[in-house]
Amino acid sequence: MLRLGALLAGIAVALSFPSMAPSPYELTVGIAILNFAVLSTSWNFVGGFTGYISLGHGAFAGLGAYATGLLVTKGELPSFVALFVAAALVAVLAIPVGYAALRVRGASFVIVSIALVLIMLLVFQSWASFTGGSRGLVVPRPFPGKLRSEHHEIFYFLFLGLLALALLAWWIIDRSRFGMGLKAIREDEDKAQSLGTPTYTYKLVVFVVSAAFTALAGGLYGLWFGDLDPVFQFSILSGAYMVLMALLGGVRHLYGPLLGAVVVGYGLEYSKLEYGDTPLHLVFAGLLLGVVVMFMPDGVIPAVTGLVARVLGTGETSIREVTAAELRDERDEREADVRPDHRPDGKRPDGKRDGKREVRQ
Amino acid sequence: MPSASLVFQSIVLGVLLGGLYALLAAGLTLYFGVMRVVMIAHSAFLILAAYLAWYAHRETGVDPLLTLLVTVPLFFVAGVAMQRLLLTRLRPATLTMMSVLLTFSVALVIEGLLGYAFSGTQRRIRLGYSSASLEFFGARVAVVKLIAFGLAAAALLGLYLLMRHSRFGQALRATIQHREAAALVGIDTDRIAGYGFGLGLATAAVGGTALSLDTTIYPSLHWHWIGPLMAIIVVGGLGSVPGAAIAAMALGMTQSLLQLELSTTWAQTVFYVALFATLAVRPQGFFGGRLAQRF
Repeated sequence: MLRLGALLAGIAVALSFPSMAPSPYELTVGIAILNFAVLSTSWNFVGGFTGYISLGHGAFAGLGAYATGLLVTKGELPSFVALFVAAALVAVLAIPVGYAALRVRGASFVIVSIALVLIMLLVFQSWASFTGGSRGLVVPRPFPGKLRSEHHEIFYFLFLGLLALALLAWWIIDRSRFGMGLKAIREDEDKAQSLGTPTYTYKLVVFVVSAAFTALAGGLYGLWFGDLDPVFQFSILSGAYMVLMALLGGVRHLYGPLLGAVVVGYGLEYSKLEYGDTPLHLVFAGLLLGVVVMFMPDGVIPAVTGLVARVLGTGETSIREVTAAELRDERDEREADVRPDHRPDGKRPDGKRDGKREVRQ
Repeated sequence: MPSASLVFQSIVLGVLLGGLYALLAAGLTLYFGVMRVVMIAHSAFLILAAYLAWYAHRETGVDPLLTLLVTVPLFFVAGVAMQRLLLTRLRPATLTMMSVLLTFSVALVIEGLLGYAFSGTQRRIRLGYSSASLEFFGARVAVVKLIAFGLAAAALLGLYLLMRHSRFGQALRATIQHREAAALVGIDTDRIAGYGFGLGLATAAVGGTALSLDTTIYPSLHWHWIGPLMAIIVVGGLGSVPGAAIAAMALGMTQSLLQLELSTTWAQTVFYVALFATLAVRPQGFFGGRLAQRF
């Protein structure tokens, strides 16, 4: 009940924001944050479910934006047809990329993802006759008759709709057999494979889904912003922000990336406003990423819910998500229980406490 | 078709460039060997060293090479500190992935601070011998490029001798090969790993100073280097020093030769083509050993 109420309240706030925003500037900040939220939620299809960390998702966003822009300007397609065709094209392109990248795990995968952005940057800068190169590509506005503020308002709701779609897709996968297989990959890929999960196919499918959503977000951004430059579209930084936002909120949680996007997106806009001419926002982003990685790699949501559960004493719920380490602890405990030296108070003979349990969102 | 002397010139330049790549890739390989860490910040430290050389030269007029006396020990200490204070505190289960993000954040901080301190303006060191060049069997080679190669070669040779013929080198190699076994025979593997990390970062100081001699530098230049270096260690096989050196030479030479026909930017794609080809054909790398197969 409480959760439903919170969800409805969140939706109400999101829907009424444009009419409450004091000026068009706040509205653009809202759009930027929603764009970040869609991007990091899209990233979280791969990062959250499978544990593969891609620093190169910026490439898919940039490709989505450029493909949309080029389809509108050179292909003369209507704006929103172009958007979906572009997302489909990026999804098709993600298949061979994923095929190569997902053959390796861990460090090599991250390297490949970085390489992807750098290649795209090289190609889109060098191939100036087609992409406009460093001069940029101007994407015509989809609603030429509208005022600037009306334009922002329409795009605010479009981004909100896309975010809802991405969250819904994540939620459905989270509860499906497919999602279970992906999480098995995250916990122990070899074991998942030996138990019959088609790990490679699963990884590839979710990679393509993630790329398609990222491309949709990038394409919508292209239509909204209207001016594309390879340096900003294919920047490792944009991929890093997606990772930062998802990690900050919590990659195992539906709303984790959204929460991270609100914090990081607002922080970025603020630091651009305050220190616009300096590269200090890089320092802030770097320090924040370092702190998150060092001190709360599971994100804010588990940290806070853990704290709340400890305060209220409601740590136990029936549906739990557990890591391999926790499962091992539990198994040890069960084995200890069947032994004759079983104690009625539930403590293990060696006096060890239960492993920390994570409450499912 | 370019003339034979032009091709020869390209080969010479390719060897010189490959030497620098090899030195930097060796540093990355060390980190991976001792800690299973992919150090994204390596090239940021490279640019930092280049900036320190440029700044010292601008302020005092000293030869950039003299800054090595300061930057090499400084970077060594920074490497040990980074390993001790940051990387060992990550959870072992997710060390590889999280270390990428952690070193990435270090790179961002360095880039941001460099930009804040020295602005985004492109900088270049002007030296008395900047424009001098030598005739070498019909190929013209700039003296600064030769010095850079000499530095890289000396540092690589020093690294090799240290690894092969000192007790520390033995301990480091043992730690890389099998950490638990090394600890069992009495090696303080934590300390050795820290020193190994410092050694890797010290190579970035040498590389950065070499780079500062004949390149225009700016804070975001490190992104330009990180791609080729990462490609080299994947092609060479993560964790293999000879693999990294061979791949560095081969790719540096190819890049140099491709520049005859293509623009500089397009020639750079050779690294990424090689990277994806390696993954499609032989994901553990072409020269990698036992270590590489697990990643």
